Amino acid sequence: MSRHRMKTVSYDDDDDYDDYEEDDGYASPDPEEQARLEQCIQDVLSQLRGGEPSVSASREEVTEALWHYYNDVTKSVNYIRGKKAKEVQKQPPKKGTVSSYPLPPSWSSACAVPFSAAEFFRDSPWLNVPEHRKADIIVEPLHPRLGLLGGAPEAGGKVSKLAALAAARKKKESEKVAASPSPVPTPKAEEQKPEEVGDNNNPASAPSRSLLERLSSSHNGRQLKPAEGGLGGLRALGKGSRMGGATAPTKKSSLEKEAEIRAQTKPGSVTQPAKGEEKETAVPQQQDEQQAPVVNMMASPSTFATIIVGDATRPVAAAQSSHLKVQSVDVMDIYGQDLTEAFDFAGPSPDDLVLNAQSSAKGFKSKQPASKSKKVDLTGGMNNLSVEEKVSIKSKNLDVLSEYKKVERKKAASFVVIGHVDAGKSTLMGRLLADLQAVDARTLEKYRREAEKIGKGSFALAWVLDQGSEERARGVTIDIATNKFETDKTAFTIVDAPGHRDFVPNMIAGASQADFAVLVIDASTGNFESGLKGQTKEHALLVRSMGVQKIVVAVNKMDTVEWDRERFEEIEQQISSFLTAAGFQPKNISFIPLSGFHGDNVTRRSEAPQAAWYQGRTLIEELDTSEPFSHALEKPLRMTIADVFRGGVQSPLSISGRIDAGSLQVGDQILIMPSGEKASIRSLEVDSAPADWAVAGQNIVLNLANIDPIHLRSGDVVCSPASPIQNLTSFTTKVLAFEHLMPMLVDIHRGRLHVPGRISRVVATLDKGSGAPVKKRPKIVAPGAVARIVVEMDQAVPLEAPARIVLRAGGNTVAAGLLES
Amino acid sequence: MTDRRRINGPPSGTRPPVFAAGADRPAVRPVRQRQPTELRKLFLKTGLIPSASGSAYLEFEPSASLAAARATPTSLIPPSSALKLTCTVHGPKPLPRSAAYSPNLVLTTHVKYAPFAARQRKGHIRDASERDLGVHLETALRGAIIAERWPKSALEITVTILEAEDDRWYGDAPDAHDASWGMMNVLAGCITAASAAIADARIDCLDLVAGGVAAMVYAEEEEEKGGEEPRGRKLMLDTDPAEHRSIGSACVVAYMPARDEITELWLKGDSGGSHEGLIDGAVDAARGAHGVLAEAVREGLSVTN
Repeated sequence: MSRHRMKTVSYDDDDDYDDYEEDDGYASPDPEEQARLEQCIQDVLSQLRGGEPSVSASREEVTEALWHYYNDVTKSVNYIRGKKAKEVQKQPPKKGTVSSYPLPPSWSSACAVPFSAAEFFRDSPWLNVPEHRKADIIVEPLHPRLGLLGGAPEAGGKVSKLAALAAARKKKESEKVAASPSPVPTPKAEEQKPEEVGDNNNPASAPSRSLLERLSSSHNGRQLKPAEGGLGGLRALGKGSRMGGATAPTKKSSLEKEAEIRAQTKPGSVTQPAKGEEKETAVPQQQDEQQAPVVNMMASPSTFATIIVGDATRPVAAAQSSHLKVQSVDVMDIYGQDLTEAFDFAGPSPDDLVLNAQSSAKGFKSKQPASKSKKVDLTGGMNNLSVEEKVSIKSKNLDVLSEYKKVERKKAASFVVIGHVDAGKSTLMGRLLADLQAVDARTLEKYRREAEKIGKGSFALAWVLDQGSEERARGVTIDIATNKFETDKTAFTIVDAPGHRDFVPNMIAGASQADFAVLVIDASTGNFESGLKGQTKEHALLVRSMGVQKIVVAVNKMDTVEWDRERFEEIEQQISSFLTAAGFQPKNISFIPLSGFHGDNVTRRSEAPQAAWYQGRTLIEELDTSEPFSHALEKPLRMTIADVFRGGVQSPLSISGRIDAGSLQVGDQILIMPSGEKASIRSLEVDSAPADWAVAGQNIVLNLANIDPIHLRSGDVVCSPASPIQNLTSFTTKVLAFEHLMPMLVDIHRGRLHVPGRISRVVATLDKGSGAPVKKRPKIVAPGAVARIVVEMDQAVPLEAPARIVLRAGGNTVAAGLLES
Repeated sequence: MTDRRRINGPPSGTRPPVFAAGADRPAVRPVRQRQPTELRKLFLKTGLIPSASGSAYLEFEPSASLAAARATPTSLIPPSSALKLTCTVHGPKPLPRSAAYSPNLVLTTHVKYAPFAARQRKGHIRDASERDLGVHLETALRGAIIAERWPKSALEITVTILEAEDDRWYGDAPDAHDASWGMMNVLAGCITAASAAIADARIDCLDLVAGGVAAMVYAEEEEEKGGEEPRGRKLMLDTDPAEHRSIGSACVVAYMPARDEITELWLKGDSGGSHEGLIDGAVDAARGAHGVLAEAVREGLSVTN
């Protein structure tokens, strides 16, 4: 039983099927059964032939079918019909030339039989399809519809029995479904017997051939011409082969003649390829005339195309056709008129002419100036709305530089006094001023009395410069003090700088105002050494980096060491080697042994016998030898504000400072940076004397108007509105490192100005001599090295390229240098 | 200060426009001087656009009446136009990450008329007819390209029409409502040029696919000179729509001669049952274009190699 089931489900499996037959030996030799079988075979065959459509089957097939269906005639007939229909379906992919497009291209085997729409659609009317030819087209699904097959995948080749069983059942079901709704046979099966299909609808007289036949014939055609390859074969696709049935076989070589032939064939009438043999003969005949049409179809490029393609690519052989010649078409020639003249757009347009005439007729001026004057009025009105009382100062409009040249004047020089704390800087300067009668004797006497009162008699001279009560009480200079004195040749400005390490910023401010420096050194035992460790070196380095070239070393307190020459030379040797290393030229360094308290070698020669060995210049003589310093008069105005104060009732707001560059005069507008406010100069004082103008290098006091004091701070920069200084938040600078430098927080000092900031990166360390980069992006800069660094600040600060800046951190000067950008 | 409120005139002098009354010389409809089966010549050139992977320029030879009008202009309005178009192929390039997986080459085609291409100015946004042409072109090329050789890739084909074929003679244009026949010629040109550009981009194809047009033209009574078809339709290959008063139906095919296959068939109008002849005519026209196409591709190869 199980075996029978097995057979029935695998009835369509051809391979297995044969095996069963042999192995079983089921075919019995019983004559009675033989006769019955013969009867059934005849029945089946007759039904197959007589049925719709007619199917021819071999005797063996029928026998097999009957055996499987236990001699059931109807089932066997159905089975054979189904099998035949399936065979028809299977055949085309095996034999056909029509390949679906995923197949790889077969260039070599060109299709020898050309396409003809007439042939292709021959048997299929476009409309009015007769009823009997209509059919439901059932597309067999590629995959089984639903359900799992289970077991190994079909692609694997070996299918499990269970899977095979399930597949077979599914197939059977689908077949049943396909068979039941279509009583009319499928078109495929119908084509099996074309003679039965009425050709009443087909206009073509020739007997129609089935798709199968046509496919096989075209396949034959291809097989016959395998050598014909590539483009040759492609071109050999003659039209004549399609038209062959109707056209005369006379072949002409030129395209025109062929075209004539084609014209003769009626487009409406459908021509029929007669027979396969005729096709084969037509193809070789076409080959000799294949070249002509191809060349003929090539057009030469038009003018436009020539421009795109370029002249070089134009086919040489192509004849110049008439449309290639460039014609400059003049419109006027076409219309034959010359009514108009070319309009020149340079002049006013006709509209402008009319409008101008209208406005002039009404007595108005042209519109443009009117609106302009109105605008001016408006802005003027806005300015007049100012709450403050407007002070208008009349400028004398002097040519400051020519005025400056006209005036015969003494040399002017300013120097800063630097040194370690308690080196006697202020006392020395006080002595200088006292001896030169810059301070009157009565004042000096008063200071002496007051100093003695608080038990500091030796500080009396220092009080000439140290005016502040705190300075006097503590006995140290805190802020810079300026004073003036004159010799026969030169007018000097003293800038007394504090020596204490806490007030180095003030010292920097002082140093920035100086042309040269006086370094005061305490010669007394122990103090020189401590000074050397202390601010002596730092100050020297700072003034050097602030651009001071010349330095006078005053070896003070020589009286305490009994004017010991060896001590002086020891100091001279140590200090000069240090200063040379710091960058001062030896010719710009001079040493003077002196005593500030007693006044020896300050303005007069020492009378002490121990000091007789020194025959050099006194301090005042040395100062007098200083050469005049040139200042940038021609450049735009720059002045750093040293102090902001109320000068008095007449001048409620004053600033003091030294002009770094440029010049100014009374009545000038000045710009204060970083606030960006403008002010005008009400009056100015040069060296405490009223003046009309001032130039670079002079210490001046400016009495300002038209500005609020909140916009002014010491450290701000005064500049001319025409060329304002830029406010920077970041700049690159080339510095000499005194300490280790790395990206860190620093204070940036420039004169009075000092702001917090940070070294954002170290660009490179530089060679000291040449300035060429030695190492890019170092992590740290060693002391004494020159480096290019980028400094960023939190607030915008007025800085300009050749500015000397000092970087300090933690109370120490870490670097000093020149701002680059 | 220059005057910026107005559009300033050219720096040199010009002449103002003249609106002349052209009524004294009535416009003459151009007449087809080719044989019914004679095709217009083609100029096709590949590899013009260096930035594209493949490109082609195609133009039709001006018809005899147009060439004559250009040589001796009697009117500023050209009697007909001749197709000029460029085609660029970009790719195959990888699909964007966001795109879904595709085992085949993803083909996109754009057909765009230049604003000045037709007598009626075209907008910058593609209109329905342009999108239609794009779809037809895609169908035509999809059958020729071996798409599964380029999985996960995209191919972009852009056709810019510089000069379009007229849909009909401009004199008839105001009161004509039949189909836009010029589109058919444009599509045929697009197919041929795109095929050349694809070959220039070295993309594997089954064959060079060429486009061809044929039309059933209603004969004009006064000019009918003993044609076989008495007072009726006549098959014309490669019709210039400006040269015919009335076109009954037209057909475009995209045809691969080596395989004898049609990848695209577009039939328009009433052919009165003679579709086959129309299709055959279009195939003949495509065959003619294929010769030029193959020659242009070969020339392009010889230039680059």
